[in-house]
Amino acid sequence: MLAFAAPNFVLLQGVIIGLGYGLLAVGLVLIYRTNRVLNFAQGQVGVIAAVFLVKLTADFKFEYWFALVLSIALAAAVGALSELVLRRLFSRPRVLVMVATIGLSQVLLALTALPFIRPHNLYKPVPVPFDITFSLGTTIFTPAEVLTLMVAPVVALALAFAVRSTSWGLTMRAMSENADSARLSGVWIRRTSTLTWTVAGALSAFTAILNAPGQTSALTEVLSPDLLLFALTAALVGAMINLTVAFVAGIGVGVLYELLQWNISSTANQELVLFLVVLVVLLVRVRALRKGSRVGERSTWQYGATTARATVDSLRQRVSVSGMWLAGLGAVVLPLLLSVGNNYLYAQVCIYAVIALSLTVLTGWAGQVSLGQFGLVAVGALVAAHLGSTFPLPVLLLFAGAVTAVVAVIVGLPALRMPGLFLAVTTLAFAIFMQEGVLATPCWTVPGIGKTLCTGLPNPASTLIGRPDLLGLSLQSERSFAWFSLGVLVLSIFAVRVWRDKGVARRLVAVRDNELGAAAMGIPVLRTKLLAFGLSGFMAGYAGACLAFATERFSTATFDPTISFIIISMVVIGGLGSIAGAVLGALYLEGLPALFGANPTIQFLTSGLGLLAFILYLPGGLGELLHRFGDMVTLGVRALQDRHSAGHPGPLAEACEDGKESFRNSEPLVPGVVES
Amino acid sequence: MSTPVSTPAAPGALTGPARLSVEHLGVTFGGVRAVDDVSFTAEPGAIVGLIGANGSGKTTTLDMVSGLVAPQQGMVRLDGRDLTEYLPEERPRIGMVRSFQDCRLYPELSVLDVLLLCEDVKHEVAVLSTTLQLPWARRSEKRKRAAVDQVIGGFGLERFRHHRTAELSTGTRRVVDLASIVLAQPRLLLLDEPTAGIAQREAEAFIPLLRRLHQIADTTIVLVEHDVPLVFELCTRVVVMELGRVVADGPPEVVRADPRALAAYLGASDEALLASGPTGTSTTRAPGSGPGRRP
Repeated sequence: MLAFAAPNFVLLQGVIIGLGYGLLAVGLVLIYRTNRVLNFAQGQVGVIAAVFLVKLTADFKFEYWFALVLSIALAAAVGALSELVLRRLFSRPRVLVMVATIGLSQVLLALTALPFIRPHNLYKPVPVPFDITFSLGTTIFTPAEVLTLMVAPVVALALAFAVRSTSWGLTMRAMSENADSARLSGVWIRRTSTLTWTVAGALSAFTAILNAPGQTSALTEVLSPDLLLFALTAALVGAMINLTVAFVAGIGVGVLYELLQWNISSTANQELVLFLVVLVVLLVRVRALRKGSRVGERSTWQYGATTARATVDSLRQRVSVSGMWLAGLGAVVLPLLLSVGNNYLYAQVCIYAVIALSLTVLTGWAGQVSLGQFGLVAVGALVAAHLGSTFPLPVLLLFAGAVTAVVAVIVGLPALRMPGLFLAVTTLAFAIFMQEGVLATPCWTVPGIGKTLCTGLPNPASTLIGRPDLLGLSLQSERSFAWFSLGVLVLSIFAVRVWRDKGVARRLVAVRDNELGAAAMGIPVLRTKLLAFGLSGFMAGYAGACLAFATERFSTATFDPTISFIIISMVVIGGLGSIAGAVLGALYLEGLPALFGANPTIQFLTSGLGLLAFILYLPGGLGELLHRFGDMVTLGVRALQDRHSAGHPGPLAEACEDGKESFRNSEPLVPGVVES
Repeated sequence: MSTPVSTPAAPGALTGPARLSVEHLGVTFGGVRAVDDVSFTAEPGAIVGLIGANGSGKTTTLDMVSGLVAPQQGMVRLDGRDLTEYLPEERPRIGMVRSFQDCRLYPELSVLDVLLLCEDVKHEVAVLSTTLQLPWARRSEKRKRAAVDQVIGGFGLERFRHHRTAELSTGTRRVVDLASIVLAQPRLLLLDEPTAGIAQREAEAFIPLLRRLHQIADTTIVLVEHDVPLVFELCTRVVVMELGRVVADGPPEVVRADPRALAAYLGASDEALLASGPTGTSTTRAPGSGPGRRP
């Protein structure tokens, strides 16, 4: 087999980058322990500090150490501020809070670009206070690396002291054991929680500032999924509880990464090993992780819009149906009025809506949080890239769906033993693996066997793919493709509606809400979970094939893992579990950027701020808004009808009864018994 | 499949109320004799109530009957069939259904969906047939809805049909739970404190409800309950337990007159037993204390 070498300088390099991961992981664990929040904005807080440090030293000519203190204070303040913003969400479903932190990280990224934080010269590297270097073997270690070796352990030790010996540390530990008891015994949990986020913000600043000098510009250090994944993996090794283990694991991840780089030449194999490591870590730690997550947290989904509202009222139902017909008619006519470019966008929105629907099934109904949905889309696109012209289009789409469904079920296997939230980590690993490992490698040699599989993109930089005809109809024009995409979306909506109303959704939700109860009733829990992955993967797969045909030319960059964040944002903005909401979410996040131009800052800000605002103030999302609008229209129609039959107390009175009567107050304790 | 051949006419035997016999059950938890040589029989169609003070072994007995706790001595028979080898999840298939004390159900599902779910378990339809809405899938769904409609009507749940279970009061949730039991068509129903966590007024309303359940479902019922008046009112047979043993067993009139039974239950005086309850029983269930913990 391969000779595995571990020279000292590689190990030391691993330790240096691992120290950064370790500090980040410790921040993640701190926040998870206190608030049970998986904070995806953790890395981004520090980036602000790194950028601000450049601003202070380069533009204002501040002394380095003074500037350092100021920037870390800024990050700490941003951390505290984040806690204040997110606080009202802490009792909400975990997945909502997690998605809110994704939104927060996008807002923070936009903050980084504000004039009083951003330096004039964007390409100025983050400074280093001294000029010490040393060499080990042939490698010279830069001053920045020396700085990391000196500062990171000190920070870690200081934190260990703070957790063990200060009153903050004590209350934080008490809170993580049992927040309610801690509160009752006089712990001021709000202040503790704010302090924790402050400390985590400062830690994040250290990571960013220490890691930044390696980069050409501080600004390139946007929310990098890789960095986040490494830190999350380390945090998971510590079971999201143990700070020391998480820190050491961070160093371990760094060393592992450097060793892989040194020993394995193929990127595909490096990524594969990393992906497998994440899986193994999760499966090994699953028992500890389960113990750490409290029972009540697993099924607090009451803010989802999963089940259909009581549309017993026939008029309300007619309003919904007419609304759907109107929207459908508008959607069919619209491509006639649009330019070529807008028709292209139209097709994209339709396809993204299908992808969002696939996540509605998986996350909205089955409660499995997937941050790798775009990895599944990539699988479908790969099938299209390889077999695009060999099958008739409908067969190809079904095949792409089937292949992706199988992949999705495999990716979902860890979910059988794990609380749904942690699946976010494995799926994120999967998305990164797909992009950097599979897509980027046209042909992959299986290590050990020596067989070559050509599963990647034929040309990773730019793969061309011709649009096939649909049963003799040409799809070459953007307009016809827009109609085709609409057709795919409509069929998908029909399928998802059938699942919702005719027996599939209720099984998924039952297993999500009460796994033990469902099992006791005879529902096959494992099969139901895998079913969710299969259905979701199927939809993502054919959507991926459609996306490949829509763009006609794509590269590995098309399937950036961060797009998965945008997909989950669509689903949340639309209202978790709502079908109309998923479509509206896709329209909002894919369509709005078109109105505002392609400016990435505006795009990020719209989605990040929008996401936060929606989660904070409208938990039901756009789907909820649409529903309320439907209610209003119904009342209006009722009033009109009533005017025609005046003097008759019928419909309007009834409508008011229906609308206003609150079952919570007037509910008989045991219905039906009283009469008998 | 190794279904015992000895039972007469396997399919026929799986309808109608079952006969449960508990024979010399015993279990020890860390030196504590939790259940000691407990025997009783529930004839087909009977309602048997297990009463006794806290820690007298009622729930442990129920756990052993439903298979959650393996007995160290004795055995449980359903229609003469030894259940030792049956796993808890296999017992629903031979008609043994257990309701849980906490009655969580599925917070996000509507009452209608919860009940349809019971039908789903009995008649599974492949996802593909559902997606394509093939004729048999449509027919099956229609049948399920008809069955559920009947139960919803029967339990007076009409106005809650589309409410999520999370929105319901504990009492209403229990009614939904009972409705789902009817759909599950048990032959032996094990109820663990069906009135736990609900107000006294609701508990009283439970008597006619349980009676109706017994009638509709045509089943044998074994229930563990703290509410002594409820048990004496409802049950055809009462088993009194104390410190893991059966101290009295018989029809309610007989047990009511048995001084040992009176002494066993909270050392209760006649008035505590005979008084139609609110004061006598509310002490055992502090309001809002919720269901107790299960091991």
